[in-house]
Amino acid sequence: MRTALTLILLLTACFSLATYLQPRQASRELLEHGQASALDVLLGDGRRLFANEIFAKADAYFHRGNYPSIFELNARREENHMTAAAAGEEEHYEGDGHDHGDEGHDEHGEHEEHGEHRKGGGHGSEPRDWIEAFGRHLHPSVHLHLRDGEEREMLPWLQLSARLNPRQVEAYAVAAYWLRRSLNKVDEAEQFLREGLRHNPGDPLLLHEMARLEFQNRKNYKRAENLWIAALKRWRETEAGKEEPNEFLLSSILGGLAQLNIEQGELTRAIDYFRQLKEVSPLPEAVQRRIDELTEKLKAGEGR
Amino acid sequence: MNKILAVAGVVIRELYRRKDFYVLFILTALMTLLLGGVNFFNDEQIVGYLKEFCLLLIWISALVIAVTTAARQIPAERENRTIFPLLAKPIARWQVLTGKFAGCWLAAGVALVVFYAFFGTVIATRERTFPVADYFQAGWMHWQMLGIVIAMVLLGSIVLSTPAANVTIMFIVALGILFVGRYLNTVAVRMDEPSSSIVYTLYYVIPHLEFFDLRKRLVHDWPLVEWKYIGLATLYAWAYIAVFLLGSFALFRRKALN
Amino acid sequence: MPAILRIENLRVEYRTRELRGSTRLALKQLNLSVNAGEVFGFLGPNGAGKTTTMNVLLGYVNPTAGNAYLFDVNVREPIARQRIGYLPELTYYYKFLTAEELLRFYARIFEIPRAEVESRIDRLLKLVELDHARKRPIRTYSKGMQQRAGLAQALINDPDLLLLDEPTSGLDPLGRMKVREIIQRLKNEGKTVFFSSHELGEVETVCDRVAILHQGELKEEGRVDELVRKYECNLEQVFLKVVGYQQQS
Repeated sequence: MRTALTLILLLTACFSLATYLQPRQASRELLEHGQASALDVLLGDGRRLFANEIFAKADAYFHRGNYPSIFELNARREENHMTAAAAGEEEHYEGDGHDHGDEGHDEHGEHEEHGEHRKGGGHGSEPRDWIEAFGRHLHPSVHLHLRDGEEREMLPWLQLSARLNPRQVEAYAVAAYWLRRSLNKVDEAEQFLREGLRHNPGDPLLLHEMARLEFQNRKNYKRAENLWIAALKRWRETEAGKEEPNEFLLSSILGGLAQLNIEQGELTRAIDYFRQLKEVSPLPEAVQRRIDELTEKLKAGEGR
Repeated sequence: MNKILAVAGVVIRELYRRKDFYVLFILTALMTLLLGGVNFFNDEQIVGYLKEFCLLLIWISALVIAVTTAARQIPAERENRTIFPLLAKPIARWQVLTGKFAGCWLAAGVALVVFYAFFGTVIATRERTFPVADYFQAGWMHWQMLGIVIAMVLLGSIVLSTPAANVTIMFIVALGILFVGRYLNTVAVRMDEPSSSIVYTLYYVIPHLEFFDLRKRLVHDWPLVEWKYIGLATLYAWAYIAVFLLGSFALFRRKALN
Repeated sequence: MPAILRIENLRVEYRTRELRGSTRLALKQLNLSVNAGEVFGFLGPNGAGKTTTMNVLLGYVNPTAGNAYLFDVNVREPIARQRIGYLPELTYYYKFLTAEELLRFYARIFEIPRAEVESRIDRLLKLVELDHARKRPIRTYSKGMQQRAGLAQALINDPDLLLLDEPTSGLDPLGRMKVREIIQRLKNEGKTVFFSSHELGEVETVCDRVAILHQGELKEEGRVDELVRKYECNLEQVFLKVVGYQQQS
């Protein structure tokens, strides 16, 4: 009897605490995010973790299920930090850092097997033992990408990732890229980007992606230019002051602006953008060659 | 053989007279059909997520059926004392155990056929194909994996005191091997001795259930696995099944029945 | 008459955790034989060793020393049980099976030819008056019906030796009478019946010979009429005298 009463008392106390705290938590959510969804309520802050995992799932789908595990990623990080410490420079990780918004990446297209297998076992390297070797005959173990419309299979995961964490702008950008690029769903891509911008007003990545949509799909150069200029401005406001600013995004924006101006015959402005690009590009010589080409064209009277 | 099949028949009859299988199948079907109705960017051809989700449900359901069915066989016989009139017949204990294993395994196989047929039908409505060979490979390998798990659980049912403990431990072991088993060598390499040796030993000793998980191949439309590797994996499964069953025989032979 | 059940110097010790590693002697040097065609009563107070003896004969328990034989086959071999039928005291059958399915299952264990199985099942279910309930699961049966199902499964292989453990326990007078009738009929057919019971009146009526066990030892064995003559009292009195019960005046 006593135990039952104690339990009832505890239950009442918990319920009271919950009813006291919940409205306050809901108001805080509203202030911070503007809207508390069912997922917010169910998962709380864990939704961000889930969102990251789901985004990685989309990447795994892009690689047709062949994806390193967290053990392999950890092992590589340790390896590479040791190497970096010895060599004094950072290495690029295989399998990391695929920017699915990068136009150059999807041109891999065909079966691509990374030829130099690293030693030491794990994803993308020589198998350590017969178990690992045997497993590779049964599991996806070749580096492949989705193509020719197959990229649609990533979309549910990208959408879910965005729902779980609306602040994860990459989910919006990547989904929109594949929607318009491979699936010819330009309207859906725009809608999704707009949704992303509602949750992340003025985000430079989303503005950049919107600009590309207008430029490549709608051929609305004026609108594209406005969007790229806005993206550039926002980048300078948000990224420039950081210790490690996202120079890749800056390169893409500047590259887009340069390309747009070339299309419109505005070679002077294109050269100006290329000069800015050269400062941040990892391949300044290639950029310089483009500048030289355009300068020649300008001299030949082909543009203004 | 007749005696073993007779015991197996009773196990199968028990399974389809209990509600477990039907409940799990209906849940799987409902959740799959619900998820299939979700619209992603007005694209009706997206099917990967549905395959993944349905196969996950199938794997969970099949594992639940296999583990819970196998875990209660011997304890239920002893608790309900049905083992006594059974062993009063001209049947050896090893035949009873083999019959229990065969019954659980066949029952799991029948369940898998139903599940994979449902899966294939649902996916065919989107993909307009029914790759029988791929489904057969995946289903066959799944069945072999369940055979290993069932044999392991039967051994556990003789060693461990209660079915609940057996079920819990076996779920943890099976899921642990499925998620982490193939990476133990990666983990071991980065450890100091003696942990490294222990983990490596574990890596070589455990049955690598993840060999039999062909879901990624189905989801991502990989081509068929070469049949010789399916054969080798099958032999690998049978070897572990034999080891677990022999262990069960050895222990059950000496076990007091009351 | 040949002995179809033979127990030689049987000794069974139990070692349990409850006994903290020490042993409990359940049977000491039991020697017993049952001839073909006999109805043999196996008597003794609770804890005398009757169940242990049954467990050894049925292969549930391995003896610590000595041997037991059924039809000259050591009881450790499963084949020793090919020609026996066993009716346990309490009904231990698969509740989800019907009586018909249960009999079919046990028939397969005995490897009875398919052609014969169905006719045997029909005959047995009629004999034990379960024909009307043959398709119902056993969990829906009353205790008496379950007991009768048990009797049917004990007879499925047309056994030459029937082992009965308290066959009339929990039965109403009508049920007890039916069991007695069946035992008598089996005896008339030349079968051997070996049963343990506390119903001494019944034992006196039905049995040819009896053995009385007490504290793991065989205290008395012989024909019922000879024992009654020897002790000059009925079987119940013989039993009490043999186990050393002193009646309070």
